[in-house]
Amino acid sequence: MIYVVDSLNSGSYRSLLEDMYRLRARVFHDRLGWEVKVTDGMEIDEFDAMDPAHVISVDDEGHVVGCMRLLQTTGPHMLADVFSSIMDGEPPLRSSSLWEATRFCVDTNRLKTGRGRNTIGYVTSEVMIGAFEFAMAAGVTDAIAVIDPVMNRVLQRGGNAPHGYVGTPKQMGKVVAMAALMDCSEERIAKIRDYAGIHHDVFAEQDMLIAAE
Amino acid sequence: MDLIDLSKLPGTTENFEGFIDQLCRRLGVEYGSYASMDPATGTVRGYATYRAEWKEHYTSHRMHHVDPTIHRSILSLAPVDWSRFERNSNFHAVFRSAHDFGISNQGVTVPIRGAFGERGLLSVTARMPPAEWRKLSRQIMVDLQKAAVHLHDAVLRIGGEVPGPLLRPILSSREREVLQWIAAGKSQQDVGDILSISPRTVEVHLRSAREKLGALTTVQAVGRAIGLGLIYPL
Repeated sequence: MIYVVDSLNSGSYRSLLEDMYRLRARVFHDRLGWEVKVTDGMEIDEFDAMDPAHVISVDDEGHVVGCMRLLQTTGPHMLADVFSSIMDGEPPLRSSSLWEATRFCVDTNRLKTGRGRNTIGYVTSEVMIGAFEFAMAAGVTDAIAVIDPVMNRVLQRGGNAPHGYVGTPKQMGKVVAMAALMDCSEERIAKIRDYAGIHHDVFAEQDMLIAAE
Repeated sequence: MDLIDLSKLPGTTENFEGFIDQLCRRLGVEYGSYASMDPATGTVRGYATYRAEWKEHYTSHRMHHVDPTIHRSILSLAPVDWSRFERNSNFHAVFRSAHDFGISNQGVTVPIRGAFGERGLLSVTARMPPAEWRKLSRQIMVDLQKAAVHLHDAVLRIGGEVPGPLLRPILSSREREVLQWIAAGKSQQDVGDILSISPRTVEVHLRSAREKLGALTTVQAVGRAIGLGLIYPL
């Protein structure tokens, strides 16, 4: 189930956010070896203070098992700053129709491989469906996501191959980071849903979606 | 969406309000407004198509200090439908009065974040049955986003808070390449084939280049890029 948490509703989701920051610490600090700051077991950076929206996947037992952070590319975002090496000195894309997706991860300890609920593929797809439906409702048509080659392969296998890449992959900690472009469209969402077998509404609450039906 | 190109006009209140007025007519909404907040001073700069009596009432009652369409929306990444605001005293302080001036509490605010951390807000409102409003607001969201960034950047240029040279559009090599081939009359499909990238990726670079150049159309963007010496005339 997907929760979208931003600075308007974060007051109601404090523990969910903390669990998400803990998942990010386990993934980006412990497993991928990125130079991120971890405080009290939580990975929080300066972009979390810039009112992003977090797309958070919660499993049936209430554990945070996946997440993604969204920022506008018209304002401060990671590819314009700490990830600028990926851009090879080029200025980043800037468009009101393009959001940046960072800190995209799933809990590989808790989740299984293979198909069906509680798998890496299922939760990855669920986070993408949530993010793309949220973006579409906001009038945003594409996303640029900072991912590693493992995630890139998961996306390619899951009917969700990026339509392009920007800059070049760069070593970051134990893995390589790259910037991939994906359209936030009905077609892509349908492909992800078909692959993952997710045909229900993924959102826990609907009020985040503009004028939701 | 054929709108007034603010990048070519002097940044006057008349031009900004004219842009918003034309946007409202095209999108089929009643009123529109834009506000930007200077993060350092908290000063709110605004332009709106509301009737003069409401603007006067709003300003004299200092409603911009409590207006949730400003103070709540500015925290949001996505456009905020006004139904999301808590019905608290601030909400009622603004919208009870607004009602007396014939202004609906049915609306949406599109927040825009600028490169310098400054933020702007484009709002539109319309009286119509809720089901119609839901349908319309979904339809116009892409156009609202595009108009919001155009207006925001135009207002920023005249604001004087940002030094001129920093506002010169910085296009990537890829964006210049795409614009150069478009200027040569190639379609997006052709450009994709030439550069070995997908047509959708071409579209993303093109949209970014247009917005960096403050242009609403590709033709305007090509013209400006030539004028700035970023691509070559053919």
